[in-house]
Amino acid sequence: MREISIWFFSGVLFLIYGILITAAGIWELIHPLAHPPVLYHLHASIWWGAMMAVAGLVYTIRFWPHRKS
Amino acid sequence: MQPLTLLAAFVATPSRAQLVRLTPVDIAVIAIYFAIVIYIGFYLKGVTNTSEDFFMAGREMTAWIAGLSFVSANLGSLELMGWAGSAYQYGILAAHWYWIGAIPAMLFLGIIMMPFYYITKVNSVPGYLNLRYGKGTRALSGISFAFMTVLMSGINMYAMALVMKVVLGWSLNFSIWLSTATVALYVILGGLRSAIFNEVLQFLLIWAGALLVPILGLVEVGSWHNLKHQIIHNIGNTQYVHLWSGLGSFSTNSMGVNWVGIVFGLGLVISFGYWTTDFLVVQRVLSAKDLRSARMAPIIGAGFKMLIPFFVILPGLLAIAVLPFHLVGQSVAVATGQHSYNEVLPLMLVRYCGPGLLGLGVTALIAGFMSGMAGNVSAFSTVWTYDIYGAFIKKDASDEHYVSMGRWSMFIGVLISVATAYLVQHAASIMDYVQSLFSFFIAPLFGTVILGMLWKRATKAGGFWGLLAGTCTAVGLWEWVRLDPSALRYVALSPNAKAMAQDLYRALWSWLVCVIITVLVSYATKPRPEAELEGLVYGATKLPEEHDDHWYQKPIFWAGVIAAAFLALQVIFW
Repeated sequence: MREISIWFFSGVLFLIYGILITAAGIWELIHPLAHPPVLYHLHASIWWGAMMAVAGLVYTIRFWPHRKS
Repeated sequence: MQPLTLLAAFVATPSRAQLVRLTPVDIAVIAIYFAIVIYIGFYLKGVTNTSEDFFMAGREMTAWIAGLSFVSANLGSLELMGWAGSAYQYGILAAHWYWIGAIPAMLFLGIIMMPFYYITKVNSVPGYLNLRYGKGTRALSGISFAFMTVLMSGINMYAMALVMKVVLGWSLNFSIWLSTATVALYVILGGLRSAIFNEVLQFLLIWAGALLVPILGLVEVGSWHNLKHQIIHNIGNTQYVHLWSGLGSFSTNSMGVNWVGIVFGLGLVISFGYWTTDFLVVQRVLSAKDLRSARMAPIIGAGFKMLIPFFVILPGLLAIAVLPFHLVGQSVAVATGQHSYNEVLPLMLVRYCGPGLLGLGVTALIAGFMSGMAGNVSAFSTVWTYDIYGAFIKKDASDEHYVSMGRWSMFIGVLISVATAYLVQHAASIMDYVQSLFSFFIAPLFGTVILGMLWKRATKAGGFWGLLAGTCTAVGLWEWVRLDPSALRYVALSPNAKAMAQDLYRALWSWLVCVIITVLVSYATKPRPEAELEGLVYGATKLPEEHDDHWYQKPIFWAGVIAAAFLALQVIFW
């Protein structure tokens, strides 16, 4: 059976979250919020989400499940 | 209706008091977390066959996984929100509970105590007590731990449901049953391995979800220097920004404690008691794949624990500087409709986080709660199965039988937790009693374990009567102050002492009584032959040699690095 590492699960979760949060940030850029949070102009969703997506992608690839011998 | 919309409609019940309004993106973030957690449970069921797999995660965790799980088991969302609130209420003094109240004990566990726990191959702390002191001490420790663990789990469940009601507007029933069903499913399926996997996930989520708040907060105020000036300006004195300089007297700091209570009560007794003998956290380290990993796990955990104040304490301090209104105590908040101290972390999340990021922050809080509950339930199941059922009720059952008993005891443990949550809902005063009860056992237990490990002369009778006397002392002092609050001046040795000082000094006295009675009774009773103590006591045990290729691979080196960083933080924030 394929052995799945906890780091793979973490990578997948971060990748999905990163994509979702970055997409939400870009959506906000196009459609500004009626009640934006403080420091909204820094667009934290975009760069924080992007960092999560990159970290998640690295872990997903690095710990991709392998077949146990 | 789409599933996400359905979930959103179900959970986001409008409430005048709710702090956070979730968008569909936030709901998706939360739903994905639940889905992956349940998937992990089903996946791990396939690799959990023996009792070693179920209760000890196969003893094959790496130092990093065991270390993150070790620190994460303690990092519940109530802990996060509670200490962020304490930072707002008392200032940087709250960081003592993360630094001197954790780091020295974690390093001590890794360097000194872990070899004994590990080489005896015991499955629990009561299991070690059985080998060292006999069945009486094991029963006393095992029964009290099992009983208190499920009660605490229920109380945490209720408190978390209350938080969810205030923050998100969720109903109590929905929070309790959604989290209970999820936790029960993945823990019963995968045992400790499943709990550990989810604790690691939770740890990463908390960092991802909460770290943005202090980063943006510091951007808003400009710098740490500006933050300090703003706090001093708003509060009117410097007590909130100094870690040690106000601890010379009970009256010169916001907590009403002094350095003796912090160093000895918190730093020596409570901290060492919790981090080295509470099976909830020690179980994570026992799952390590070898002795080196078991020693490195608490050291890795200590490194991360030391950084937690930056996203728990710092947001509380930032709130003092940037929030345009004042937070108040819980009772005042209920009466006046203002925000309470405990809401500071959600308030700061709302301040800086838009859609998506807000869902991530809320997921981190939910994950913290669920992994805390999973930790309690898995530890309860292990102690029940090995130290009560296996030791006193059915001694020679098959391995399959014990795994089955483990699953059933988890199920029963979860149900007791739910029942406790509803009981507390109708009799809130029970919460204070049970939380105090839990603290009664930790301090004297540390006295019993440390004497057992370091002193060959400690006898079975000494261990049992010392533990019992220490526990009775803690109960007696607590009851004395409850009946006569002015007695606090005698317990904490000062008329200026406040409630926090009582906990610190009660722990110190109960530990001292435990140690003194253990020593006296041990000298009055016949010692065990030294040959019987091999593997159990320092000086009677040949510790296995570790062969690290390089100096920088040695646990003692990394413990030294963490200790130096810990000392540097004390000086920087003195």
